[in-house]
Amino acid sequence: MADQPHSDSTASPALVALAAWVLPGAGYLLLKDYARGMTVGITIILLFFFGLLIGGIRCLEVPGYDPHGHKLFSWYVNGTLNGNSVPIAHTSTEPPSSTDGARQFGWTFYEHPVEELRSKPWNIPQFLFGPMDLLCDWWAVQVARPIDPEHPSKGYVAVRSHSRVNELGILYTAVAGLLNLLAIIDSSHRAIRTEAV
Amino acid sequence: MNLPMFPMIIAEAYRPFMDPLPAWENGRWPWLLIPLCVAVSIVYKSARCKSMKAVFREAMGLTLTIILGMIAAAIVLGFLVRGLER
Repeated sequence: MADQPHSDSTASPALVALAAWVLPGAGYLLLKDYARGMTVGITIILLFFFGLLIGGIRCLEVPGYDPHGHKLFSWYVNGTLNGNSVPIAHTSTEPPSSTDGARQFGWTFYEHPVEELRSKPWNIPQFLFGPMDLLCDWWAVQVARPIDPEHPSKGYVAVRSHSRVNELGILYTAVAGLLNLLAIIDSSHRAIRTEAV
Repeated sequence: MNLPMFPMIIAEAYRPFMDPLPAWENGRWPWLLIPLCVAVSIVYKSARCKSMKAVFREAMGLTLTIILGMIAAAIVLGFLVRGLER
């Protein structure tokens, strides 16, 4: 395995950054820096999945969904305050009935993305881990839904963690994403230097 | 409950990824910070070192520094809290 990137690597910095986000360590692999790529990639992936083993898959909080895996909707209805007509915001897992006079109805993450991310800020560093985090987010939503009492044999509900264990799970997964950001920046910087040579 | 059987019962009930790790007792969870320190050190030193041959040694040194730093911070904060409690 090579310790230094080979000079014949012609990958563009943008492609290296994208590859590093899609699969941790892949940016270095594109630069033919195999030892660095494998070390960084395996360490970051192990850190993320070790975090999920500690905190459980439900330590991932997914924007746009409530803690029970239900999609959140938001809308406005007209209300009155001191005799003036004011819009009142509603958020619920159930869409409004047609008689409510609701407007700007839609998925909460689509309608209010900043508020959703602000309420679940750890999702941002976790997203830097790449598509595997999105897959785990989908899995977290699927196993968060309560089992249907009519079909108790169907479904597989995961337990939600609390306290230190939850904090450690979030810490591990968020640090894995932030370390991947470090690897993305470093590998694309190395690609720029290789281009300049 | 038969106490020696208790850890075995927990181990049988634990479903990987579905359940949180049963490590919430005060004596156990701080040990989980060590793998985090090791991983941070390895990735940081992999990005910093020119040669990958030096990464392992450098990462172990950085891990030790982080752990000693955390212990020192814990001691200082412990004394601070006890002082403020009086």
